[in-house]
Amino acid sequence: MKSPPFEYHRAGSAAEAAGLLGELGFDARILAGGQSLIPLMNLRLAAPGHLVDITGAPDLAGCGANGGGLHIGAGARQRTVELHADTLATAPVLADAISNAGQVPVRHQGTVVGSIAHADPSAEMPAAFKAQGGTVTAQGAGGTREIASEDFFEGYFTTALEEGELVTAVTVDAWPAGTGHGFLEFSVTAESWPIALAAVLIHTSGGAIDRASVVLGGVAEVPLRRPEAEAVLVGAEPGAEAFEAAAEAAATGIEPLSDSFGSGAYRKKLARVLTRRALTTAAERAGGDA
Amino acid sequence: MTVPEVRQHPEHLEWVGKSIPRVEDPKFLRGRGNYIDDYEVPNMLEVAVARSTMAHAKILSIDTSAAEAVPGVVAIVTSENVTDHVNPMPDFGPSPDKHTWYCLAVDKVRYMGEGVAVVAATSRAIAEDAAELIEVEYEPLEPLTDLLEALEDDAPLIHEALESNIPFQRNFTFGDVDGDFAAADVIVRDTLWWGRSGGQPLETVGAVADYDAATGMMTIHVNSMSFTHFLFLLANTLRVPSNKLDLQPHPSGGSFGAKFFEVKTATIAAMMARITGRPVKFMQDRLDNIANGDHHGSDRYYEVELAAKADGTLLSTRYKVVDNYGAYIQFGVGQHGNSLAQAVGPYRMSSIGYDLTAVLTNKCQQGAYRGFGSEVGNWILERMVDLMARELDMDPVDIRRMNFIQPDQFPYFIPTGNVYDSGDYEAVLNKTMELSDYKGWRERQAEMRAEGRHIGIGVCTCQERSVFSATEFWFWFDEPVAAPVTSAPESVTLKVDAMGAVTATLYSNASWGNSPETMVAQFVAEELGVEPEDVSVVYGGSNQGMPATGPGGSRFTIMVGGAVEGASQSIRAKAAKIAAHLLEANEDDLVWENGGFAVRGSPDQRKELAEIALAAHMFKHSLPEEIETGLEASHVQDHPYTTMPNPERTNLGVFYPFVGHASHVVVVEVDPETGRVEFLDYAAVHDCGTVVNPRSVGGQVIGGTVQGLGSTLYEEFLYDEDGVLRTPSFAEYLIPSAMDSPTLRVGHNETPSPYTPYGIKGGGEAGRMMAPSAICAAIDDALGIRIRRLPATPERIVEMVDAKD
Repeated sequence: MKSPPFEYHRAGSAAEAAGLLGELGFDARILAGGQSLIPLMNLRLAAPGHLVDITGAPDLAGCGANGGGLHIGAGARQRTVELHADTLATAPVLADAISNAGQVPVRHQGTVVGSIAHADPSAEMPAAFKAQGGTVTAQGAGGTREIASEDFFEGYFTTALEEGELVTAVTVDAWPAGTGHGFLEFSVTAESWPIALAAVLIHTSGGAIDRASVVLGGVAEVPLRRPEAEAVLVGAEPGAEAFEAAAEAAATGIEPLSDSFGSGAYRKKLARVLTRRALTTAAERAGGDA
Repeated sequence: MTVPEVRQHPEHLEWVGKSIPRVEDPKFLRGRGNYIDDYEVPNMLEVAVARSTMAHAKILSIDTSAAEAVPGVVAIVTSENVTDHVNPMPDFGPSPDKHTWYCLAVDKVRYMGEGVAVVAATSRAIAEDAAELIEVEYEPLEPLTDLLEALEDDAPLIHEALESNIPFQRNFTFGDVDGDFAAADVIVRDTLWWGRSGGQPLETVGAVADYDAATGMMTIHVNSMSFTHFLFLLANTLRVPSNKLDLQPHPSGGSFGAKFFEVKTATIAAMMARITGRPVKFMQDRLDNIANGDHHGSDRYYEVELAAKADGTLLSTRYKVVDNYGAYIQFGVGQHGNSLAQAVGPYRMSSIGYDLTAVLTNKCQQGAYRGFGSEVGNWILERMVDLMARELDMDPVDIRRMNFIQPDQFPYFIPTGNVYDSGDYEAVLNKTMELSDYKGWRERQAEMRAEGRHIGIGVCTCQERSVFSATEFWFWFDEPVAAPVTSAPESVTLKVDAMGAVTATLYSNASWGNSPETMVAQFVAEELGVEPEDVSVVYGGSNQGMPATGPGGSRFTIMVGGAVEGASQSIRAKAAKIAAHLLEANEDDLVWENGGFAVRGSPDQRKELAEIALAAHMFKHSLPEEIETGLEASHVQDHPYTTMPNPERTNLGVFYPFVGHASHVVVVEVDPETGRVEFLDYAAVHDCGTVVNPRSVGGQVIGGTVQGLGSTLYEEFLYDEDGVLRTPSFAEYLIPSAMDSPTLRVGHNETPSPYTPYGIKGGGEAGRMMAPSAICAAIDDALGIRIRRLPATPERIVEMVDAKD
């Protein structure tokens, strides 16, 4: 389990990283926390010729409230984001998601943006990010552009990034006060990869749900939004009946694959159970009329 | 051999029984354990193995040209020329020529991960770069992984020379099985599957080999092969004379049986060392270890029948078992001897039928794993006793208690011929009931169920046999294929130097994460009256060594205890002669007490061991003529209690005589929608005779129980129908961590063995031999299901719940 040879580059800024990527092309990968990339290289499942380390770039390091949303720089460590007061205030579903990822030492090393850019459809942070919504800031030789979270994930480990682009930050949109969130995953052991997960947010007004987001992980090639479930929820009175119906809608029509952790049918069942329970938790946390 | 003499154990023990801190701790906790991967030699090469990507395929050609061109590559051996360099590896099964096993695949690959080439290079990374460039052209053959399909007439053959996939088969009848079944009021039947898991040491297997062409000596530093007694087999594999092979033991970061007699790593390192003329290290990585580490555990299918009277009296069990050994046989025959050693559990049953069929398939071969097959036997029997309790509507505790072998029935010969030396099962069960608050939990269970919670309580009462005899390697066969070996010894040398300081030399590779040095230090302290931390414990290389077998089958503590006892007796005998001379007393008037000899009735007239040792080393010519300089003794401890199988094999003789016992009570809460099992409580009481160090044996119980939890709930080497290993790393092969484990409460009961030093019985495999039975019973109880296949993964639990509804 030794990595194939590669060249290591250290970028002092986002612009320098973008410049290196532009120069080196697809043979280069961004190295942030390395908690996904390095194991893949040691298993020889990835063999980039060049690594561009961005953890020393001061302009990528930040994390905090930004115009009502939450800004997370590409160098910000998961543990920093997880415990940040602005995360807890603005995007608690993301804090919950991070707390389920790996162990604490791993989260001190890994980055939130790295996990999102890695785009593993079973991972926690992409699902939570997509559930709450926001934008990805990508920088390349041609400049900077914004990609909506809804459009960012395109397939297994595949994103809307183009050759020569890196993610410099993500911004998570704020939801109105009183929003309730739920994040639940199921893994066989405490430290193993989640088989399925659900990230949900609901907001109520006048005793009825007026806004809902339901995203599943581990059941498709991307973190999967479930508009059918959201449609069941919006306008409904929060409660067991609505949540069971929404969970049923969330799990209907999905076709998860099977692997050594569990069959597609089991994942589907878990998706329903986790959605229902996450919604129940979200309702308990929701503040009611805003 | 006849029955050994019944011992009178001393009433007072100074050191045996005390939880002294482990004497190994200072070096290991400081990172100075001298693990094999830290061992570096100048000019050393490292190797990587190119492993098969196919489960079953003919090797058509191997192209190493690109690999050879990588700078730093020194030598490559492939499937095409490996037989030029080495002989086959040891195979304890019958007809080893019909399933010949080399360190690399020859002619065809028989499982995914089998080695097809070895690259020696100046670094492991370079070796891996080159291994990746080796191109193997395969002609795929039909893969075979299912053990029942392996029996079909048209099944693909794993070894064509065998002409079937059955390397051995035997139907034993011990006692009047048919008569007992005819006399039964109730017979319960079931089919049960034990999935293939294995020991997962944090440190994998490693070897550093160094061949001296001038002397012909092959020196191999290893963290595997406790079994120095059988090293001539490795010498044959390596084509070196048996007296030109020297194994230097290094401590191992865990084995759990997985390194017991792992010869492949050393074989590969030694082969490349001789070819290159340079020292060579082969350190398996996790992928090597899981796919090609020769240590997968039992993989069995059972059809079982248990016969009883209407009142719950157990009569007889019939087992029909098929065991999937994978592609080759190592010492696989031992796994079922282990089951037969305690086939009736702690219960009075007068007969056993045992019909075994071993099959070969496209999986990695089996090795040893904590319990070595007896843990499977325990689980099967306890599953059947639970089924009988359900059938008769009896409490699972009551049916066990009423069938226990009673304290006055020991030594108790079970139908297979093995003996249980001693025991008090009711005392253990009572302690467990108390420790677990079983009654209280039953009451709480009723309350929690009323709240809609799925709470289950499971109980097991299981045996732990210890100290195997070598007869179990061949009593399966009418005509032993190799030799009807009878010995599995353990040796020690004790040296008291001129200052009275004691060095103990061990001759097996004994340090596996257990506490061999602590055990030896406690024994030496007990026998010679020194402080345990003052005893220096070292390991001898095999070439200058003495016969030794090392840890395995929970034997080491008892065997090395006997060796220390014997060597100490010799030292004291010589010391007595010297002391008598120094004290001008008659030797018969001396008594040994507190680490010295005193004249009986005159305690002031005494010589300490250090004074005697100084005289022994320095003042030869002041001593009587017959006393030689020095104070050193060695002792070979042979198996204390072995008897031979009869020719008809209706009685296998005594082969695993020191039998401990344990009872576990586990309380779980299960989520029927997800299948998650949460532990609310776990209590375990073990009886391994006299406990040498309660803290260290308690650690063994906890570790073993957590491994049992893994085997029960999620660990499995999963091969799909194409023979693809779906769990090649710890990302997929899931092992329990502290976060998944219950907080165990451990209790001890002590029923000393009448036949061993101090009354010790083995305890090193405990925990794993009990946990699966108790956990399954608890899950069944929580959900009203019946677990018949391990691992009982969350998905399988949900399927059982759904099937019930």
